[in-house]
Amino acid sequence: MAARTEPETQTGTDSGIAAVRVRDLTVAFRTPEGDLPAVSHVNLDLFRGQITGLVGESGSGKSTLALSLLNAIPSPGQVIEGSVELGNGGNVLALRGRALRKVRGTDIGYVFQASQNSLNPLKRVGKQLLDVGRSHGERDSRELIRRARDLLDDMGLDATRVLSSYQHELSGGMRQRVGIVFALLLNANVLILDEPTTALDMLSQAQVLEIVRKVHATRHLTTLIISHDISVIGDLCDRMAVMYAGRVVEEGPTASVLATPRHPYTRALLTAMPRITGDIAEARALPGRPPDLSSIPREGCVFQPRCALATPGCLETEPPDTIEDDHRFACFVTAAETR
Amino acid sequence: MITGQGITRTFPGRGSMLRREPVRALRGVDFTIPDHGAVSFIGESGCGKTTLGRILCGFEEFDGGDLIIDGQSMKALSAKDRAPYFRRIQMIHQDPYSALNPTRTIRQILSDPLELRARQTGAATGWVSDRRAELLGLVGLDPDYVLPRYPHMLSGGMRQRVVIARALTVDPQVLVADEAVSMIDVSLRLGILQLLQDLRSKLGVSLLFITHDVATARYLGADGELYVIYRGSVVEQGGTDTIIQHPAHPYTQCLLSAIPVLRGIEQPGKDRLIPLAPLDERSQPPGCLFAPRCPQAAEDCTAAVPELALSGDAVQGSVTHKHACLHPQTRSVVATATA
Repeated sequence: MAARTEPETQTGTDSGIAAVRVRDLTVAFRTPEGDLPAVSHVNLDLFRGQITGLVGESGSGKSTLALSLLNAIPSPGQVIEGSVELGNGGNVLALRGRALRKVRGTDIGYVFQASQNSLNPLKRVGKQLLDVGRSHGERDSRELIRRARDLLDDMGLDATRVLSSYQHELSGGMRQRVGIVFALLLNANVLILDEPTTALDMLSQAQVLEIVRKVHATRHLTTLIISHDISVIGDLCDRMAVMYAGRVVEEGPTASVLATPRHPYTRALLTAMPRITGDIAEARALPGRPPDLSSIPREGCVFQPRCALATPGCLETEPPDTIEDDHRFACFVTAAETR
Repeated sequence: MITGQGITRTFPGRGSMLRREPVRALRGVDFTIPDHGAVSFIGESGCGKTTLGRILCGFEEFDGGDLIIDGQSMKALSAKDRAPYFRRIQMIHQDPYSALNPTRTIRQILSDPLELRARQTGAATGWVSDRRAELLGLVGLDPDYVLPRYPHMLSGGMRQRVVIARALTVDPQVLVADEAVSMIDVSLRLGILQLLQDLRSKLGVSLLFITHDVATARYLGADGELYVIYRGSVVEQGGTDTIIQHPAHPYTQCLLSAIPVLRGIEQPGKDRLIPLAPLDERSQPPGCLFAPRCPQAAEDCTAAVPELALSGDAVQGSVTHKHACLHPQTRSVVATATA
């Protein structure tokens, strides 16, 4: 039992330096009907020592964006243009073979979506952890086990029990934490979590968020967390990016994005979310439905069909980013608002 | 009106013969679902809330206690004679993707139960197609668009509306929604909740909402009754708003604390608590079942099982507010909106 620790709003001296820089990234899926872009001209920085959140609905391209950080986009997806640069130099998208394998795991730790279901049911957790180490050329098994025990302790798990368990003997929340152990076993300094709390109930979710907060701080990580749930992002992250139809439509410090959302989609998401505070009568559902790859508008603003503020101009040109301090958004209409 | 009286359900244990322990999913639950009412069962995964919902729909047997539907005891009836009573209670499943037969069109999915209903009530020819269109109108779908299509051609939100329309074909008095919005895109969830709320006011159906998220329960029936279930027992019961504002049981306080707090627009409650020990279903403590995880457990908590009783002077609450805790304390755990 522990009282909840408050997130530090001030980050360390490292803040302001990007550990990962995504530049003008476009990823498309090749289909008989032509290239369908899942991620379109995305720019995103993951600042060292900060937790960045990526929020979007299904089909918004958030998982594709995250997978491209590992250069692991499944076929028929292809990077059309852009780069993913790591802080220590090097474009991940240009790497192949051994060099790429080294980045995956040793530089970037990735906790996959539904990772609670991705353990091998026939092997004990300890054995699988050793496999991960060996496949990356770690010879010292004792050191690996020691690191795994440290990580499991950090997560409030009984290391001896977990290492000798099969996956069916662990609860969903415990397996999610084991997923984080796998991601950090090789001392990665960038941690990416794809929908880490989706199948969990509220209590397990709060526990996993608390653990992410803790390992992020004690291991001086740079963390990216992906979720469809804006409240998870709003609770955990220093900065957040909102994705819609393959674009980052708004990005900035979390408190600023939530307190003064500038993009109509962010505003609509916030009013459409069931919350424990505030007036129930003010909640509004969003009209329409999220687009899939084939129904994304080809011209104009991608959110325009569902937007309450849309003007005729929104049909013609795609809005460029408007930057105010370190908060950016892509909307013609709200850019003209006086703050 | 439906009343549950001391319902118990024990599942045989699995695993090695020597360690096999029966699982006590429900340990004597009393509840009432009034006509036109809104009732929510809240609890974490594995607390028994889904089993209770399944018993209510007649999908699952109960071992002890009794279920009384409109004054008729279910224990006294044979399985065959129960059927007309259970018809009045219809379930809306969590996953609209697997609740509809993928090889049948929406027209077929809705027509079969309606034709059966027409035979039962002796309705005239033409009633089926009129009623089909009427039901789709009620759930906000366009019959011309939906009827000829297969489930895979519809979005998650539309599919969930079809599931609701199908539940309405047999004129139920109670709709049981088991996590009915958790698989649906965030921007569409509120629409489904509002639809259920509309059906309650238009058709006078009662709603039973089963969820782990108190915020969603609040949107479905702030005027309704909330039952907080922990390991098969009701630990707190009362008006939804009363419990959100004056939770007395530490478990309820943990559930409310676990709701993410949005940075910049909300402040966490000052007494927010989160238990880090995961639920151990095998433990059978002698006294209060929550004591091993409770941040406030005292010595006498392990001595006797606290009974669900009306809240006394220690906690301000309404007349119907009950809880099962020996040492209830007022704590402000719910986030408040930043002014």
